Parts: sequence; C-alpha cells; structure tokens
Amino acid sequence: MFKIHTAQTQNFITYTGMIWLLAAQLIVMLPFTTSLPAWLIVVVIFAAGWRLRVLSGKATQPNTLIKAALLLMGIAAIFLSGLRLPSLEAMSALLLLGFAFKAVEAVKRRDALVVIFTGYFLVALNFLYSQTIIAGLYGTLSLIVLTGALVGVQQTIEEFTPAQQVRFNFWVAGQILLQCLPLMVLIFVFAPRFQPFWTLPMPMEQNTRGISDRMAPGDIEKLSQSDDLAFRVSFKGERPAQSKLYWQGLVLNYFDGREWRQFANEQSAEELQWSIKQDYAYDPQNLKIQGERYEYEAVYEQSGQPWLFTLTPSTEVQGDVLRAADYRVMAKQPLHSPMLIRAVSRPESIRDLTLAPKLQDLALQLPQQGDIRSRQLAQGLYAEAGDERAYIQTVLNRFREQPFFYTLHPPLLGEKDTIDGFLFDSQRGFCSHYAGSFVFLMRAVGIPARVVIGYQGGEWNESGKYLAVHQFDAHAWAEVWLSGQGWVRFDPTSMVAPERTEQNLEAALKKEGTFLEHSVFSSRKFAWLNSIRKQLDSMQYGWQRWVLSYDSETQTQFLSKMLGELSFTKIALLVLALFGCLVMVWMVWLGLTRKTNPEALEHRLYRRFTERLAKKGCERRLDQTPTEYAQLAIQMLPQQAEHIMAFTQTYQTLCYASELRQRSSLLRELQRLLGQIR
Amino acid sequence: MTTATPQLIQAALQQLNAVILGKEHTVKLALTCLLADGHLLLEDLPGMGKTTLAHALAQVCGLEYQRVQFTSDLLPADLIGASIFEPANGNFRFHQGPLFSQVVLADELNRATPKAQSALLEAMEEQQVSVDRQTYQLPQPFFVIATQNPQSQSGTFPLPESQLDRFLLRISLGYPDPLAEREMLKGRNGRSLLSSLKPVLNPNRLQGLQSLVPQVKLSDTLLDYVQRLIAYTRQSEECHLGLSPRGAQALVRSAQSWALLQGRTHVLPEDVQAVFAAVAGHRLVGRHETQGEQLARHILSKVDVIGSRHV
Repeated sequence: MFKIHTAQTQNFITYTGMIWLLAAQLIVMLPFTTSLPAWLIVVVIFAAGWRLRVLSGKATQPNTLIKAALLLMGIAAIFLSGLRLPSLEAMSALLLLGFAFKAVEAVKRRDALVVIFTGYFLVALNFLYSQTIIAGLYGTLSLIVLTGALVGVQQTIEEFTPAQQVRFNFWVAGQILLQCLPLMVLIFVFAPRFQPFWTLPMPMEQNTRGISDRMAPGDIEKLSQSDDLAFRVSFKGERPAQSKLYWQGLVLNYFDGREWRQFANEQSAEELQWSIKQDYAYDPQNLKIQGERYEYEAVYEQSGQPWLFTLTPSTEVQGDVLRAADYRVMAKQPLHSPMLIRAVSRPESIRDLTLAPKLQDLALQLPQQGDIRSRQLAQGLYAEAGDERAYIQTVLNRFREQPFFYTLHPPLLGEKDTIDGFLFDSQRGFCSHYAGSFVFLMRAVGIPARVVIGYQGGEWNESGKYLAVHQFDAHAWAEVWLSGQGWVRFDPTSMVAPERTEQNLEAALKKEGTFLEHSVFSSRKFAWLNSIRKQLDSMQYGWQRWVLSYDSETQTQFLSKMLGELSFTKIALLVLALFGCLVMVWMVWLGLTRKTNPEALEHRLYRRFTERLAKKGCERRLDQTPTEYAQLAIQMLPQQAEHIMAFTQTYQTLCYASELRQRSSLLRELQRLLGQIR
Repeated sequence: MTTATPQLIQAALQQLNAVILGKEHTVKLALTCLLADGHLLLEDLPGMGKTTLAHALAQVCGLEYQRVQFTSDLLPADLIGASIFEPANGNFRFHQGPLFSQVVLADELNRATPKAQSALLEAMEEQQVSVDRQTYQLPQPFFVIATQNPQSQSGTFPLPESQLDRFLLRISLGYPDPLAEREMLKGRNGRSLLSSLKPVLNPNRLQGLQSLVPQVKLSDTLLDYVQRLIAYTRQSEECHLGLSPRGAQALVRSAQSWALLQGRTHVLPEDVQAVFAAVAGHRLVGRHETQGEQLARHILSKVDVIGSRHV
C-alpha cells in the first residue's frame, strides 16, 4: 500500500514545483501584455492560485463543467477584446489563454511538461513582436526560468531550503542551456537560411512607420515628434561632415496644389517596381563619378515600407535592392525586419548631364492654376536676376532676409493656394514648406526642380562608432537641374535655420522649445541618461548588425570569407567535424563531472553540516561517528550546542533507527535543523 | 527487550567488574561474545587473569563450568569422553568428557596437538559430538572460552586461520592499569572473590537475552558502513586476507550484541567500531608489519563512517 502511494506521488507536481511553473508562466506571458490583451496575466495568476490552494488542501480541483465554462468565457473575452479575426494576434491570444488555463489543470508531471514546452514555443513567438536585444535577453531569461521549472517539477523530495532550491535549479538550468549554446551557434552560422515557405499575416502593431511616399503640410512635423530609430550607419574610413549628411529617401515630382507625390497617378508597389525596372531605371552612364568616396553599411529598422536612405549618388550597392533614375535606392520588399546594405557613395559626382525628356517633364510639372502671387513673384524675380544661378541665389536670399521662421507649429494653410499662404502670409514653416515652395518657385520659371525627402544628419555614437538616424531627423530639401552641373542639391531650410543642418533639430528648435515636446519621458530629455542610452543603443546596433541581419546573403559572404570557395561538401564536412568536436567535448565533460552513485540526501545534508562546522575549525575525521563528532563540535562551539545536538540526533534517528515511513518528515526536519547551523 | 533487560545486563557487568579490575571494555566484550552465542578466544601471557575471567563469566551466568588444561599429550578422548566396558552388565557405556559442560574453559589451547585442537573446534561448530556411531548433543547454552599464549612462546602449535575463524571474538586482557594493580598487590585476589559472585543470570535468562540479539535493528546505512569496512579489508593492499562472509556475519552479530549491552534497540556505528578489533583481529592477515588488532584499528581509521549509495 505504502509503495503504491509513493509511486503515485512521484508523478505529481509538488507545491514548490507548482510555484516554479507559475513563475515560468508569468515570465513567459509578461512581454505579450504590450501587444495582446493584458487580462491574460490575470487568468494565469487566477488559475495557478487555484491550483496552489488545491495543493495546500484549501480548495478542490474544478470539475469538467467549471473548466469548460471558464474556457468558453475566456474565448468569448478574446472575441470581444477587439482583435482582428482571423489574425496572428487572435491565434496567439488563444494559445496564451490555453497556456494560462493549463495552470489549474497541471496536476501531473506530464501536464507540467505540456505547459513548459508550450512556454518554449511562446518564447519564440514573442520574437515576432520584438527583436530588440532587450527582447533577446528577456527570451534567454525566460528560457532559464522555464528550464528551471522543468527541473523543479521533476523533484519529489524537497531537498533544499527554498533559497537553495532556486539557486540549484537555476544552476542546473544554466548548465543545460550552456551545453546547448555551441550547437546553437553552429546551427546559427551554418544552417541554410531559406525564404519562408508561407508568410504570416503581420502583427497589427507593425504599421508603416517613418517617411511615407507623399508630403502634405504637417507630415514631417508629425514625424519629428518621434524619437524612434530609422536606421544606423557605420562608415568604413572617412565620415562626411554633419551638414553633408543628406540621406535621400525618395523623390517627389508631382505637386497637386497642396500635396507632393512621387508621380501624377498613385502607383502601387508593383507598378512602382515595374516602372523602376523599365523607363525609370537607373543608368550608370548618366553618372560622372568624381570626388570624395564614402563607404558605409546601413541597417534599417523595420518600417513596413520599401524606402531606403542613402547618400546620393551611390556608385555601388550590395543588398537586395532596386535603383531608380532619380538615384534613390529602394528595397524590393517592404521592410518587416531589419535590413542591411553596404554602399559606396560619391556625393560630388555629376548626375544627369543631359536630362532625359521624361525626367524633365516630371521636374517641370505644376498645377494648372492657383498660387497666382507666387507665380508672379517668380517671374518678377527671374526677370530681375537674368540667369538661373542668380535667380536661385535671389530666392534663397529672400528666405534668409525676409522674416521667415522655422517652427514645428506652422499656422494652417487651408486647401488652396498653400504656397501663396506660406510665402506671403504666414512665413512660418517647417522644412517641407521651404522645400516645397522653393521647388514651386523654380518650376514657375521653367527650371527643372524636385523635392527630395529623407533624413538629414544623425547622432554619432562614439562608443559604437556609428551614426544613429532617428525619425526626428526627417527632412525635405530640393534638387535643381542646371545645365553643365546636373542635379544640384539646395536646402532652403538652412537659409532660415542653419542650426538644423549644421547641428540637429534640437538645436534648431532650441528657442521654440518644442523638440520632442509630446514625449515627456523620452530619455533624451535627461542629460544624465544620455550615455546609458547611447551604450544601450550601441549594443542594440551590434545585435542587429551581427545577429538579426545575418541572412542568406550575409551568410554566404561570411562563409566564403572564412572558407574560401564554398561547396556543399566543404560545408557539410566542416559542420560534421565541428559537431563531432562538440560531441567529444560533451562526452569528456560528462565523464569528468558525472558522479557515480550519488549519496542519499541525509548524508549530503550531513556533509554540508560538517562543512559548515569545519569552516569554524571543527574538522571531522573520517572515522568519527556522528556522536563523537557532535561531542567534539560542542566542545569547540558551545554556543551552537543545542543545534548541533538536535541535528546529530535527528540524523542518527534517520540513519539508524527510523522506519521507512518516517523518512520524509525526518528529512524535512533535518533540513530545517541544518538551516539553524550558521 | 523487556524492561528488566538493561538492569540484568548492568548487574552482570557490575559483578564481573568487581572481579576483573579496570578492564570494563574487555569484560563487556566477553559478555558480548556470550550473548551473541559465540565462542571466545583469550590471548594473553600467563598470569593476566584469563582463567579468572572465564570462571567469573560462568559464575555470573549461572552456568556449569569445566576446565581443561591443554597439553601436548592431550587426546581427543580426554575431551570428549570414552565408551567404557561395564563388566556388570556386559555393555559399553559412554562416559562424558569435560566437553559436556555449559562453559568449557580450554586453557592454553595452542599447547595441544592439532588433533586435540580440532576435536574441540569440531564440537564448537557442530554443537554435538559423535562417538561410536552415537551422536550426543552438547548442553545448551554451550560456550567455549579458549585461552592461548602468544604464538611466539615456545611449545605452541599455532591454530590455523580456518580454526581461528570459529571464535567469534578474540580479546586480550593486557597488563592491569596501575590503580588496579595496586589493589591486587594490596592482597585483593580475584580468584578468592569468585566464590562470592552472585549468579545474576541463569541459563534460561541467558538464552532469553541471546534471542534478543538478532532483533536489534540493523539499518541500511549501518550495513553500508559494515560493507565498506569489509570491502576495505578485501581490497586494501595492506591486507593479505580480508574478512570472510562468516567474519562479516560475526561482525554484525557482535555489533548487535554490543548494542544490546548498551541498552539500545538499534545498532550505531560506535557499536561496530567497538567490536571490530575483537572480531577482525584474529581473522585478518596483514601484508606488512601491522597485524591483528593494530591492523583492524588502522582499517577503522580509513573508512568513512557516514554515507551510502542512493536509496
């Protein structure tokens, strides 16, 4: 009877095991609260609390009816919580619900295994929502706790005090995971990276971010309120001066009187790609390469859009990109994960000595009517100036000399005659106003010009040796085509607010005090946080640069750099050899560290007892019986006499006089007494 | 164990200690041997009080007692007895020798020839004697106390290892401590005190106590310790011959008996250690200088008392 009982209890999760399980579940579920309903956490606490009460005998296990009712309620709550159906979120939420409810059902060890293995899956699932280094570290922590729980639910006799158990389980879990590490690295570096066979509907949080393909008044201002990262760049060798860092994103050719767009008609992504491959394609012959050479690597954050930002013109680009006639570089797919490219730029090269008719048409387009005052002004100024270059200078000087202001809060300009409204009435605006009106004034007198949007500047991170470009670095400027010089960049904003290009937005808005005014808690507001923020950002960059952007192309490059010419057999042999080495190391390590026949718990506790006393100078001789040793110890440490006596007596009873059924209670007692020996 | 048991044992020990001064441990070992239903070998120089101890033991236990002086011309028949023709009825009748006694003191066992020695040892093992196709049961309890002179003395036939193994314990009294010796010199004669000893036990009570010995609890942890000790004697390069299974049994039985004498119902490592030298001393053969009890003590110091395989 007794034996059957123990055999059964061995398959059940103990109280401590349950606490481990709960901790693991909480830790796994916590990051999902940012993207999925937060009440799921309450469900897991409720379920595990119930189970713990059952274990301590204060409640009964719910029956099937209650469980079914709870489950139905949970599913209903998921339907009502406003998740799109069907979607990845809804499915994840359902999985999390089941995961949370499983806590109340986790009675046997087998149930715990289901929970833990689902937990491992959820850790991976969380990377769909966040791939930052913080998420990576958190994932590692979750893995350790989950593995600790895996150890915890296997324990039957409570061997240690809770603190010791936590330490022990973490130690074992850490060891297990460390043993996996080499294999993980091996697989990471060598396993072939296939394109996904199917794609998931993207989580809803990942809407498009950053610069869009149009520029209406107010767009860039909004972007300037965000301190999200856009991309990071590390230069090989020379770095251009801060005021030369114009990251071209896309070119806006078409103006409808209010809004700037790329082309007259809206183009879908496929159409745009098609035209970039056809009549709007990049032709290297139009580029006369000269001047300083800058080589860099850029890692772009996921934006949900295909735009990439480069120093124009790029002479070489490595990566899965398209290049267009306006010298932009563009990804083939919208960026749903960070993307890495390598590029070489020669900013002083001459672009388009002869302007193609199509491009010329695009660069001269204006609405049929509206903005009469601006058109008249342009004609008047042009007549005065005589030639194109003098005219451009006049317009720029006008921006500088007249009372124009650089502000994040320009007055509204209405739907019509926005250029007039800006140039003559409000005279307050952001880069988009200046760039837009400048191009308008150029086109009004027949000079080909276009608006370019992208980012300007960036923040240099000295510890990581890279440049971080944020959303608030978004900028718009103009390009004018001049005969003999090709496309030339003009930035009318710098006439009004030279700090913007020479330093950054924060300096330009110093007087107004509106920099990141809506993000009260941004770490940029606190100077003392700055170095920490930069350090963290630098780590994040390394993570992105070396881990996240390790795709099949980088893999091929890396491997061929290491191995020379690549061949299937070469890689296969290398992987086999490395794997063989790993197995050997493991085996040797196992052989070295494995203890044969570990001692029974009471003896291990007794040895810990003697170790503690030995630290106080009371060594145990091998042949001393517990009584003899206790007598010796009491003589040397009289203040502990009582505890030493009690421990020794319990140990002796346990070892020499007890019945089997008293064993576990005596063991617990022994453990408690050991805790008293200090 | 009845409530009277500890008192009985204490009383018996007290009586014995009154006769043999300053040898509590040895006296206790002798009684241990008796309670464990084993035979005792006393090895000592002449005049150390071996005979007195044997005599006192018999007296205290209320057993009848015979003494046989072993000499080189002793014949088996002198021990066992012989069939003698009775002219009155024309029959042979078996006349029991001194062996038919509850306590037999075999004095100076190693002075006899191997032939006589083996007659005694056979009787010890079988608890019966066969003469002329007739089997005679020896009395119960049957307890042999043999004394022997150290083997270096002249005119001795050393007992072979196989024979030594039949004695449960081998003990030696050794020189008395100065205090006890002073008493003796003052005229306190152990032998003269023998007659004043009260028989605390009787054969029935003794057998009752003997039946308690196997009931003393042996835990797994303790047996682990015993097996570690035995394994050490067999594996160590210091021992030429390790403990036999019979020796191991003897160790356990002696330890149980010792624990009973201590008034305990379970065996502690102390009990094993207390009897180990007496049990193993005459059974172990060392490779080096260290022999006998010295070797046994050395082995004790080398084996960890606590610890065991996983349960």
